[in-house]
Amino acid sequence: MSRIGREPLGSSLEPDPVIEAYKKDVDRTLLRENLKLTPDQRLRKLQSFMKFIHEIRGSARRRP
Amino acid sequence: MTDFDRLLRVLADNHTEFILVGGVAAAAHGSARATYDIDIVYARTRENVERLVSALRPLEPYLRGAPPGLPFSWESGTILRGLNFTLTTGAGDIDLLGEITGGGTYDDLVADTEVIEVFGVKCFCLSLERLIAVKRAAGRPKDLETIAELEAIAEERKLV
Repeated sequence: MSRIGREPLGSSLEPDPVIEAYKKDVDRTLLRENLKLTPDQRLRKLQSFMKFIHEIRGSARRRP
Repeated sequence: MTDFDRLLRVLADNHTEFILVGGVAAAAHGSARATYDIDIVYARTRENVERLVSALRPLEPYLRGAPPGLPFSWESGTILRGLNFTLTTGAGDIDLLGEITGGGTYDDLVADTEVIEVFGVKCFCLSLERLIAVKRAAGRPKDLETIAELEAIAEERKLV
């Protein structure tokens, strides 16, 4: 599905000063790297990261 | 840990009509934020709810955070009598949403989706623009950082 022929939603949203303030802290280098990937690669990366977090938490719990 | 691959596969294998929303949809669009569950908006037709129930049954869904032993019967009647369910399953956590704040139902959202292929599965993912609009409309303070990141992604895409 697409919005071809319809006004893009993004263009109808006014900039929000609070969101603009938060935007200054966004790591755009990381985003640019992610945008080079396909959606499949992005979700595999997320899955791999979550597995890592899970393992780290597990090893922390197992510490005497 | 939520197994995104397995959950999406069981839903697709059972021809469930759903739209990826939330953190996993954001990640598919390029977000670098971690997310611990899958959020989907599912079509509320009886046929689709039956497919959804059948898909997740082998994973023994249960209400997340509910005390053990609470009477919870995983059947289509349960889903049709309710709307949104936060579940834990044998493949991790999944939120089944009949409707989302600021976005509405499956039928309201499906025109603003993109078909993506992830883990060998083709599924609808809410478009970046609609995801931003929905999160803005929900007006939750905890979403502010997420919205900022999503808008930054939209800006970066325009630069490519």
